[in-house]
Amino acid sequence: MSDELKLIDAAKGGSVDAFSKLVHGYREGLFRFLLTRCSSHADAEDALQDTLINAYRYIGSYNPQWRFSTWLYRIAIRNAGKLRPANLAELGDPADHSADPLAHCIADSERDNLWRSAKRVLSDEVFAAMWLRYVEDMSVRDIASVLERSSSWTKVNLLRGRRALELEMNGKAGNAGSEAYG
Amino acid sequence: MPEVKLMDKLASKLREDAARIDAEISTQLDSRIHASLNAIEPDTARRQRQPGRRPVSFWLASSLTGVAGAIAVIAVLNLVDTEEPAALPRTVAENTMPPIQIPALDLDVEAAMLTGPLAQELEDLQADLKKAEEVVRRDVRIDF
Repeated sequence: MSDELKLIDAAKGGSVDAFSKLVHGYREGLFRFLLTRCSSHADAEDALQDTLINAYRYIGSYNPQWRFSTWLYRIAIRNAGKLRPANLAELGDPADHSADPLAHCIADSERDNLWRSAKRVLSDEVFAAMWLRYVEDMSVRDIASVLERSSSWTKVNLLRGRRALELEMNGKAGNAGSEAYG
Repeated sequence: MPEVKLMDKLASKLREDAARIDAEISTQLDSRIHASLNAIEPDTARRQRQPGRRPVSFWLASSLTGVAGAIAVIAVLNLVDTEEPAALPRTVAENTMPPIQIPALDLDVEAAMLTGPLAQELEDLQADLKKAEEVVRRDVRIDF
């Protein structure tokens, strides 16, 4: 039995320490993902807290046939989805990016971060699929499970997302070149 | 081939850019999460603390005990029914109470008072009917 499964068993028995050890390696990645999904830093913090609480409470329902991270991200997406509609009214002017947690978390020198462009050009679900594929290294099957979509939908939208981001990347490179030579 | 290289470049750029997003978990958030986790317990642990399901033999034994009890009660009741009713002691049987004398009430008066207005009403209605009949007869005679 792997260490992770032992920790899961201990957490099922009510050990907070075992659960904390279990999720320790996932917390930062999860928080980074939630920052891209939520409308504010505070919301992302709340979503992380809710995700971990729900994961601990319902750890008995975890099926070891899936990766633990897949299960965690599924809970995280649901929690982020719950927070999102209530905060839509607070967003104000869509052109104002001051509320965007990504903008806060990316240093000024790195404003050309491709994930900011991804957030602008991709839908929420395609963005999440791209993130899970390229940052979390999830398989198409796992991504489909997290997003509760079919594998074919996931494949098609990963391809579309890649193309859209390629265009963004090339467009920026082209603009930079024209500025440099213009 | 260049397309594959571009894909690799995109993947590595996405990975690098994700790593640049500052997602440090503050100590306040960490302690908040820890406190929340300590305040709850998993459903599985709660279920384990609750008394487990009783074995099938327990329910079988309970059912058999119930059936045996019911049979015993029925048997006892049948035995009691077959016995002769016990005779009353002579002293109790002979000392009968004298019949109670109830004074007779004049109920007709009240009945007459209640039905009087109705009888009058009936007479009035019959008179009305008679008058109406006479009018009809007269009209018929005029017509012919």
